[in-house]
Amino acid sequence: MYEWRSHTAEIELAVDAGSPEEVFVEAVHALAELISLGRDAEPQSNRVAIEAADLGALLVEWLEELIVLADTESFVPERVDDLRIDETSLTATLVGRGGPIDPLVKAATYHGLRFARDDGVWQARVVLDV
Amino acid sequence: MVDLRRIDDTLYEIPAEARPDMRVPARVFADDELLASIRGEDSLAQLQNVATLPGIVEAAIAMPDIHQGYGFPVGGLAATELPDGVVSPGGVGYDINCGVRLLALPLTIDELGDRRQRLVHELSRAIPAGAGREGGRRVDVDEVLRNGSRTVAEREEDVERTESEGRLDGADPSAVSDRARKRGAGQLGTMGSGNHFVEVQAVDRVFDAAGADAFGLGERQVTVLIHSGSRGLGHQVCSDYVKRMDAVLGRYGIELPDRQLSCAPASSPEGQAYLAAMAASANFAWANRQEIANRTRASVARVLGDDTAANTRQVYDVAHNVAKPERHHGRAVLVHRKGATRAFPAGSDEIPAAYREVGQPVFIPGSMGTASYVLAGEPGSLRRSFGTTCHGAGRRLSRTAAKKEISGAELRRQLEGRGIVVASASNKGLAEEAPFAYKDVEAVVDVVARAGLARRVARLVPIGVVKG
Repeated sequence: MYEWRSHTAEIELAVDAGSPEEVFVEAVHALAELISLGRDAEPQSNRVAIEAADLGALLVEWLEELIVLADTESFVPERVDDLRIDETSLTATLVGRGGPIDPLVKAATYHGLRFARDDGVWQARVVLDV
Repeated sequence: MVDLRRIDDTLYEIPAEARPDMRVPARVFADDELLASIRGEDSLAQLQNVATLPGIVEAAIAMPDIHQGYGFPVGGLAATELPDGVVSPGGVGYDINCGVRLLALPLTIDELGDRRQRLVHELSRAIPAGAGREGGRRVDVDEVLRNGSRTVAEREEDVERTESEGRLDGADPSAVSDRARKRGAGQLGTMGSGNHFVEVQAVDRVFDAAGADAFGLGERQVTVLIHSGSRGLGHQVCSDYVKRMDAVLGRYGIELPDRQLSCAPASSPEGQAYLAAMAASANFAWANRQEIANRTRASVARVLGDDTAANTRQVYDVAHNVAKPERHHGRAVLVHRKGATRAFPAGSDEIPAAYREVGQPVFIPGSMGTASYVLAGEPGSLRRSFGTTCHGAGRRLSRTAAKKEISGAELRRQLEGRGIVVASASNKGLAEEAPFAYKDVEAVVDVVARAGLARRVARLVPIGVVKG
């Protein structure tokens, strides 16, 4: 499950999930909800491969990929196929559609970044620049 | 509760001893009321985090419009000693060289009359805002990244009346990623979303006749204030280098209280590459505001005639998200200004000859529907804040909280009821920028004036606003 939390000049994504993979999938649904103003008919897919210093940085870069695809291709993701992650790399196929985008989100930040397991629940917190 | 010591009427300090990792004190310019608002969020803790950066000198300093950001607070500055003090992309921000440009039209609000409606709508057609990638000027991006304003300027005087003449040295297009170029493609001459705007205004009060005269501003004169930055290109450059520096913190033995402060010695390969990319992005932003100014003049020509457009002068253009090498207090430093404006006083070689006797113009946009200020840099800025003053009113409420208070449609009705013409593609975007979401610009300007950082020259009130 995910939740958007609003601060003075930015918004925070909070995800609680049963596995790291689920955190990455929930983040896709959360961002799609935030940016999408509608969808065109034609499905599209985008192959993504990312490397980063750790799981937290990987989540920041994953959100960055989604923001860039929205910004440059007006792409709104709907689901994630073939997701593979380890501590420092991720590959996946994003399936979604083109459509009008709310241009509010500029970037995912490392501010207050958290990606950890607590009492059997994977918790992630990422602040977005808006 | 943070232990703030009152230094004088307008300055408070958290001593360096407050936390073991602080290298210098954290100082904030404010009055009691603004301080109460500042204490209600995390911005002072963020300022203390900035005070831990390797190579920071004197103090981490916040302006009265400070608010919570990510890593660095918005409305602050940090000077790091060159060559080996750090450069931090987060200390500049995502919108590299976000800034403000003021144009002065050769007519009064009375002479403009009921043509104001047409002018606002003409501007909204000429200057794309919000989403979409259409309508930007197609240019040789490398040329823009290297040379900034001059690449698209239609008159030399605009370039001369721009901070750093609209171009930072050391820009290297090859330090800007393909992804950043792709995000910036087609965006030159576009406004963007969020708090960016083009506003038609009138001078409603002159405080300093000599300053106003030098800046070419008189009572009731019509002006156009442009607020935009480096668009998607700058955002991506910041993201690229936050990640790159985060990955090499260990190599330079840097420990940080927040990863968003990610940084590297300015002399390191990573630091040099960021400075080259940041300069290129700053140049892109200056060219962007120059192209918006070109389009503003074209709109003026269509509505008010060619003579009026030909006599529409640029007052100045200031950056409020940038890092620049400067000399202060006898040493070479890199001044990071994030939501803060350079405000050099009279006599500085860095400001246009026409303004050298009155000081550098500074523009402080208020929130939508309230006043904006034209200030001039004062000598106190060099003594107390590395030649810096505030940049705006400063956000007080979140976007969500603002939307809960008022709908975009209702806000539009209220603004129009006060005679302000509104052209905005999005009612939601309008509500998020509601005036009450920001601090009182009068209080912010009062503090920087009493602190001797800048003085009031003129106040501008909106008569029309174009928003994304």
